[in-house]
Amino acid sequence: MNAVEVMGVRKVFNQGKGNQVDALVDIDLVISPGSFVTLIGPSGCGKSTLLRLIANLTEPTSGSISVNGKRAKQARLDQDYGMAFQQAGLFDWRTVARNIELPLELKGWDRAKRRARSTEMLDLVKLPEFSGYMPWQLSGGMQQRVAIARALAAHPPLLLMDEPFGALDEMTREHMQAELLRICASTGTTVIFVTHSIPEAVYLSSQVVVMSPRPGRITQLVDVPFGKERSEETREDALFYAKITEVREALRGAEFEPTARGIEDR
Amino acid sequence: MTATTKNLKEVVAAAPVQRYWLVRRARRAAMFVLSVVIIAAGWELYKSVGPQDGGSVLGWKILPRAKDRVMPHVSDIVSRFGDPIGRSSDESVLSVVLKAVFYSLRLVLAGFAIGLVAGVLLAVVMTRFKIAARAVLPYLVISQTIPLIALAPLVVSWGGKLKVGGLVWERWMSASLLGAFLTFFPIAVGTLRGLQSPPASSIELMDSLAAPWRSTLFKLRFPSALPYMIPALKLGAAGAVIGVVVSEISTGLRGGIGRLVIEFGRLTTSDPAIVYTAVIGAAVLGLTMAALVSLVDVLLMRNRPREVLA
Amino acid sequence: MSRRAVRVLAGVAPPLFFGVLLLGVWEAIVRGFDLKPYFLVPPSNIGSRFVDNWGNIWAAMRVSGTNAAFGLVLGSMAGIVIAFLLSRFKLLDELITPMSIAVNAIPAFVLVSVFSNMFSTTSVVPRRLMVTLVVFFVVLVNVAKGLRQVDATHAELMRSYAASNWEILRKVRVPNAIPYLFTALKIAAPLSVIYAYVSEYFGGAQDGLGSRITGNIANSKNAVGWAYVLGACLLGLAFYVISIAIEAAVTPRGLAQPNRDGS
Repeated sequence: MNAVEVMGVRKVFNQGKGNQVDALVDIDLVISPGSFVTLIGPSGCGKSTLLRLIANLTEPTSGSISVNGKRAKQARLDQDYGMAFQQAGLFDWRTVARNIELPLELKGWDRAKRRARSTEMLDLVKLPEFSGYMPWQLSGGMQQRVAIARALAAHPPLLLMDEPFGALDEMTREHMQAELLRICASTGTTVIFVTHSIPEAVYLSSQVVVMSPRPGRITQLVDVPFGKERSEETREDALFYAKITEVREALRGAEFEPTARGIEDR
Repeated sequence: MTATTKNLKEVVAAAPVQRYWLVRRARRAAMFVLSVVIIAAGWELYKSVGPQDGGSVLGWKILPRAKDRVMPHVSDIVSRFGDPIGRSSDESVLSVVLKAVFYSLRLVLAGFAIGLVAGVLLAVVMTRFKIAARAVLPYLVISQTIPLIALAPLVVSWGGKLKVGGLVWERWMSASLLGAFLTFFPIAVGTLRGLQSPPASSIELMDSLAAPWRSTLFKLRFPSALPYMIPALKLGAAGAVIGVVVSEISTGLRGGIGRLVIEFGRLTTSDPAIVYTAVIGAAVLGLTMAALVSLVDVLLMRNRPREVLA
Repeated sequence: MSRRAVRVLAGVAPPLFFGVLLLGVWEAIVRGFDLKPYFLVPPSNIGSRFVDNWGNIWAAMRVSGTNAAFGLVLGSMAGIVIAFLLSRFKLLDELITPMSIAVNAIPAFVLVSVFSNMFSTTSVVPRRLMVTLVVFFVVLVNVAKGLRQVDATHAELMRSYAASNWEILRKVRVPNAIPYLFTALKIAAPLSVIYAYVSEYFGGAQDGLGSRITGNIANSKNAVGWAYVLGACLLGLAFYVISIAIEAAVTPRGLAQPNRDGS
């Protein structure tokens, strides 16, 4: 069974009104379990919209989406996925541990079970001493790690991430990418990741989905055959640079304008 | 370098923050006492240089009378507290004033509680049903500009004449009701703003967690609303005090501090200092409510980062 | 109908409908349950009494309005001046700010009894002094906050230009404080009306709205009392509208406004 199947999806905003926007057109995508897939494209290409469609935070205008073999809405109600956003979005009035326990509270878990799981997750993201701290006492990178811990707390098979490292500085970002790979390797979670950054996409994914500017279409799929075990050396590998070039050219080819907008080359 | 050592270096120390806020509040209280002392000094200064029977500045009769009968010495006022009330009983003025303050305080607390519950309930309804918000919000906003206190004499006149079911409407209920009325509006507005304050991303987070509306209300909206509710609570508390005191005054609601101010005011010819004791009592009433709200503020917000919101 | 007209109508319709509904229910309850006048008076009666007594009501409104206006202007001017002093002398700020917070909490009305003794019983001063005091503190707190809470970046910029304190005041603090001044005025304007006539409940000269309301109720002429209440509400509303109009006239459009609670 595929982790996610997107079939013939189209998304239009403000249909029929003067400010109608065709965000996504003819999207067909199949994601197999355990893979790490990145959506990349220029600003406004609809990659975040596609992610939110999969998350059932909005409905497609036409077409269908199945997650974990169910309709997207059912998957959301069953909590089959966890989500992380660019802003960590932790609740200021809750301790780190209680922030991680939020999805578990909503599922009705009792306190002992919740506490055991949040401790486990804090170990996973390497922040064991911080369970009693308040979010505003933590740095941006640490908050993002707590957000990831929260997203994975209920051990969902799927993780959706919308530019979670976008607000971090370069060094923290690379560190977080390595951490994320380690965490996902140990949990076996399927990940769909949205980003602006080509090196980030290539470093993290088994497959990069390249999208065109609005109206967003999938123009190319780039396989990244590094396998699950990646390290700092991977960033220096010749194949790494080759893949970056491949993705960049795919992006350029996808655009009709000579200048690349919204793509980072870092 | 291990991951853990790297983390600890990134953390902002939190412990000094709590101590700093305590020191600030103590300093503020000290400054308040100092300003009271300065006012007392200014009072005495005016007494020594001011015109005994009032005076005029540029033809306007705006200088108050400085004689002892009208402006007693500060020491006289203070000592008056300890002396018996005279005439009918030996009870000290302090005791009489405190009893009146306590009487009014109970009315204020009753009114405040009712206004608080009603205001919060309305805010929740208005958050749930956007159409209710659109219909009612303009009235809530306008209510803070029109003098609702004008209704005081009307509501108070219900006393003793109205029967609700088997219960006779007492005058004190009017006072509490008016207090509740003046509490209700600022609390409804403030709570509504607070409940609507969480960023869209947090609402989306709750959606992604398949949280029902009730869970989002209690786990997200109410905690987010607290920083907005605290200033509203302060306004509500002040409103409750004003509502009760004005109601007491526009009737003869015996036992309350408002009534005491009027009664003592009538005694000024024979007993100049006593009216000031009642005024101080009314001030104590207001300050007690303000202190209660401050206490709630400190207790509920102690874990939050201090932003400049209130 | 143009799109903009539809939007305006959609915004106005629900509150309008709600208001009419409220009035209708009020009238129906009083008539239906045959409630006594000392409890509730139906809106129709209030309306007719208002029209009948318009001359007297207007006279009372003018008295209270004048007292309120006096106090509003005086209190605002004093508040602005002292706010400037506060921004300059930090110690003064530390002394006065706790006092203003306290004054906001206590029921200031009770001071009218004291004022009535200090001045002659027929004087207008007690009521006007009361209004002045209340307005003073409201304006003081808000304008002081506006002068103080300047964007740190702007302040640093001015310091990098080696601007003097006086110049910083003129070019950065004052423009920043103007929205705060109007916030204060919007609060103080209706407040001035309230304190102008409620002061009359406490004795002293008796020619404004407050005494008329209590007088009529004491004589069991509740409907007339309600009509005077309506007059008081209209007066308060008028003051508020005037303060909004002044703000709109003076402030360029699109300026960010601080909120009523000062946040």
